[in-house]
Amino acid sequence: MTAMPSASDPDAIIVVQNLVKTYAARGRASEEVKAVQDLSFTVRAGEFFGFLGPNGSGKSTTIKVITTLLQKTGGSVRVAGYDVDRDADAVRRVIGYTGQAVGVDGQLTARENLMLIGRFYHLHGAALRRQVDELLSVLQLTEAADRRAETFSGGMRRRLDLGAGLVHRPRVLFLDEPTTGLDPQTRNGVWEHLRRLHRSEGMTVFLTTQYMEEADQLCERLAIIDKGKIVAEGTPDSLKAEIGSDVVTVRLPRSENFEALRSDALAAVQKVPGVNEAKAFDGGVTVYAANAGATLLEILRVLEAERLTVQEVAISRPTLDEVFLKHTGRAMKIEEVKPLSRMPFGGRRRMN
Amino acid sequence: MTTETLRVRAAEAAPVTGSALSEIGWVAYRSLLRVSRTPIVLFFSLMMPLMWLLLFSQTFGSVVGRGMALPGAAPLPYDFVAILLPGIATMTAIQSASQSGFGMVADIESGYMDKFFVSPMRRSSVLLGKLLADGLRIAVQSMLVLAIAWVMTLLVGWRIPFATGFFGALLLSVLVALFGVAFSGLSNTVALRTRSTEATMTASFALTFPLLFMSTAMLPAQALPGWVQSIAVVNSVSYLADASRALILTGYDWAAIGKALVAIAIVGALLNGWRSKRSARRAAKVTRRSPRPPARAGAVVAASILSPEDL
Repeated sequence: MTAMPSASDPDAIIVVQNLVKTYAARGRASEEVKAVQDLSFTVRAGEFFGFLGPNGSGKSTTIKVITTLLQKTGGSVRVAGYDVDRDADAVRRVIGYTGQAVGVDGQLTARENLMLIGRFYHLHGAALRRQVDELLSVLQLTEAADRRAETFSGGMRRRLDLGAGLVHRPRVLFLDEPTTGLDPQTRNGVWEHLRRLHRSEGMTVFLTTQYMEEADQLCERLAIIDKGKIVAEGTPDSLKAEIGSDVVTVRLPRSENFEALRSDALAAVQKVPGVNEAKAFDGGVTVYAANAGATLLEILRVLEAERLTVQEVAISRPTLDEVFLKHTGRAMKIEEVKPLSRMPFGGRRRMN
Repeated sequence: MTTETLRVRAAEAAPVTGSALSEIGWVAYRSLLRVSRTPIVLFFSLMMPLMWLLLFSQTFGSVVGRGMALPGAAPLPYDFVAILLPGIATMTAIQSASQSGFGMVADIESGYMDKFFVSPMRRSSVLLGKLLADGLRIAVQSMLVLAIAWVMTLLVGWRIPFATGFFGALLLSVLVALFGVAFSGLSNTVALRTRSTEATMTASFALTFPLLFMSTAMLPAQALPGWVQSIAVVNSVSYLADASRALILTGYDWAAIGKALVAIAIVGALLNGWRSKRSARRAAKVTRRSPRPPARAGAVVAASILSPEDL
């Protein structure tokens, strides 16, 4: 298990300390919505770091504060040594950002989109043209380079958007839910590109996601965020190891006194030797055991002794789903972002 | 070429600072490139003014011409359309300016606005570049309207003096474009407040006609009823129309042009001032409807950067 990097780590490239971001609830000035509460974490240079959490957990707020798109309420945020408030321009020069919405201009061609983004970063001439050509090739868009982006498929747009975040060769790339809304196959393609970019460029990548699998596949280290707080942090393996080696899911049949039966079952299995922990969930109880093979029989025996009927038993290796469940007490629900239903909001935005 | 050829450049991008002018230029370039990709939009935006030019002026021309000629005096040496022309150019500007907010809403919704704001570009360049593009577009539209009227004088013998010739027409178009840019503040405000293109369209449609008819854009002051005259005096459109009409009918009236510029400045200051007060209030009392991630955060930046202290 790797040690958590501290704020004073010489390799630290993103240092967030006690970050707070609150919004006033609309129409009720006295009420505040805490999007992010007292968040602290550090990302090392070259790391692929993930922020995993459900919708509304504060992922996007955090990424927007770090990328200077949102003004924080409190705490301190530094990127590559620059303060996001005082040296916002320096921060902007070293970071790339790809937001949840695919912000490519459909009326322009892929090449025009990338060239123009380069201009926004004050790049010009042959160097810019070469960089754009390279990016188009890396993202496998060379053939479509001179087609308008509005004719692109969802995956192609995503790749182009990714390219827009890379034109100026940032040291840190921020990706806000880069695969939300994509079909599984396209998602795999985007992952492949991200892995390659990270490997070949040695770039630090900060990614937010609501997909367990995405975090597991891509991130070297991740933090699980829920309701504006980090509930767990570590490598995917170390987080899963914390659970214990195995998960036994015991489903109980639906009945009128389901909840009473479930608490009986919970009490019973907790006494079984070798069981690290047991938790109730909607359908029954989840048992975390060092060795499921050895404890399964005993678990079933105590349940039978309590005259509890078992509907189904399953043994699984822990996944990040179990990690999330363990730290928050609920399963992570994924909602696809529907662009039209996104809520408008008002927040203090950066003006300098 | 493979991924491996895209090598790491660990060193930070050199802190090149581009000039504000080049930033504004590139933002404007993008807007104009978009216009050039859908020229049909430009054409449709000319439909209404052209309809007025070709139909309205002809239908009402004879009536107005007779009504305006004083009893016993010689008939007017030009057609009604010559009187109406500056009004139609102004209409083009108001229409285009009303649509200025659409692009802003689209950029916020698509996430493009965030691309501007994560870059080290000056915040003000985003707005100024857009205004520059709007101004150029309106000037071109106005020149097109004038050119069509000029062609009509050659083809079907419309009597329009064009007293100041090409350069006068150019000056007229510049005035109209400046007015459009100042007036676009209203559309941008409605667009940002409502984030709805429909609301923006309705608001601008509702305003276009009162603004035009309660001014000297359609008829000179002496031909207006008394109560309209008293409104026209405080309507900025009148000053633009008076200066423009002189350019078409009589010549360079520098006093009128000066007044038009003052009127444009006041409109710009008022509409932008109102907006900045709103955005300041917004900034002071940050609001949000639900505890969800800020999906449309761009809107507020746009609102904030639209304040005149950046200009």
